[in-house]
Amino acid sequence: MLGRPGYHIRRALRNMRQSPFLSLASIATVALSLALLAFFALAVLNVQQLMASWGDEMAIVAYLDDPPEEKVLQQWLADIRAYAEVQDITYVSQPEALERFRERLGPEAGLLDGLDAQILPASIEIHLREELRQRTTLETVAGQLQQDARFEDLTYGREWLEKFEAFLLLLRISGAALGSFLMFAALVIVANTIKLTLYVRQDELEAMSLVGATSLFIKLPYLFEGTLQGLIGGVLALGASLLVFRLLLMDVLAKLLMITGIDTIHFLPPAWQVGLVLGGGLIGLLGSLFALRKFARIGPA
Amino acid sequence: MIQLYNVTKSYLRGQNALNDITLKIEKGEFVYLTGPSGAGKSTFLKLLYCAERPSRGQILINGRNITRFGVQRIPLLRRDFGIVFQDFKLLNRRTVYENVAFPLEVTGHKRFEISKKVYQTLKQVGLQHRLNDHPLQLSGGEQQRVAVARALVVEPLILLADEPTGNLDPDVTLEIMEMFKDANARGTTVVMATHDRQLIRQFPRRILELDAGCIQMDDLPC
Repeated sequence: MLGRPGYHIRRALRNMRQSPFLSLASIATVALSLALLAFFALAVLNVQQLMASWGDEMAIVAYLDDPPEEKVLQQWLADIRAYAEVQDITYVSQPEALERFRERLGPEAGLLDGLDAQILPASIEIHLREELRQRTTLETVAGQLQQDARFEDLTYGREWLEKFEAFLLLLRISGAALGSFLMFAALVIVANTIKLTLYVRQDELEAMSLVGATSLFIKLPYLFEGTLQGLIGGVLALGASLLVFRLLLMDVLAKLLMITGIDTIHFLPPAWQVGLVLGGGLIGLLGSLFALRKFARIGPA
Repeated sequence: MIQLYNVTKSYLRGQNALNDITLKIEKGEFVYLTGPSGAGKSTFLKLLYCAERPSRGQILINGRNITRFGVQRIPLLRRDFGIVFQDFKLLNRRTVYENVAFPLEVTGHKRFEISKKVYQTLKQVGLQHRLNDHPLQLSGGEQQRVAVARALVVEPLILLADEPTGNLDPDVTLEIMEMFKDANARGTTVVMATHDRQLIRQFPRRILELDAGCIQMDDLPC
């Protein structure tokens, strides 16, 4: 029976042609559910990206009250570079610190006129390797550095980091929970819509079983139909979310996130786009499978 | 061809639809299953094509004990049958051609074979000119002829008919009976449930009379 996929696909297409409204209802259901999921994923992804960009700025800063001579400083920097966790370090001299401060003040920079660079301490910014940028590693490295009398005055924003990590965790958990809920809701709605289409075709299913069709032979066209409707729904959801993203969301999200310093809003990455369409197909397939359990019965009840 | 040994079918209500039936129908026989409404005629047929399972007893079709057939084997069994119902059970969204072709598609026939067989069978029942029509465009008699064509196109070993002429006028009834007679003459065993006494007198064959699930009479015509 499986050796004739062309036949089953032709039957699936014919079924769709014969019940255009029911097919459209299934496609629309998948498309709406997935579009909702896509919008949600867009928001979560962009916020996560923002969080990740904040994570990139995670660094340990060692303040030097009294900057040493160049030769000694180079030795200190070499000692810090020797840590396996450290990716790179930046020495910020007192004049550079004042210059940065001036830049940050922007139009108010005039306030610093006449001040000596000595008012700000020199510092060493220590960036860890990307995969180690988390609170625990920062704590460990900072602890080890603090053992060294040269780097007593350290800061790495411990409290902020704790809140940041908790927020990131909450975002991931709520994202996964809401995403799963939306997927499940989509599956239930699609299964019920397909059940309706099967209810209309109950006579057909009965007639098929009476002339000796196997359960698989009866089910295959409906499984193809469900999968195809799901895939079409997935493509529509992707198109709709791209359209809404371009016309509306990009501006709104950009304005919201601008405040936080992020300047580029991203659409779903290609793997997610493919996943959305394939997810539509999977929802359609599973929906048909659930619906068929009740309707495509061959033997005695 | 068909053997029943002490077959009983009871439903949840407690009353037996069929009660301790033992009988044999030989290959090529034409048998009427008759009796009042609720006598067990439809249940008898359903047991043969495995839409129901007997509560007790054994059923053998063509030497195979079908009593405990699993769902995988039931479709293969049904391919030996042609089944005709009082309410036709046609696919109204499909054309006459597609309705008759369907059992052949199920069994994996090639397209050219299907079109040849469907055309021949529709010619037998006199509907070769209506193959592109849909069932609801046809009269009741024509719809039943399509149903008969669908049953006969697979050249079944056994033809089961459940009140096939119940909704038809006398002229169409005679046409349908002629088709059954032709199929029987070609070697198909026919089991037909009917309560039409006149029809039985007109085409005398073996009669199995059921009443309250029991065989009241098993009579061969003189």
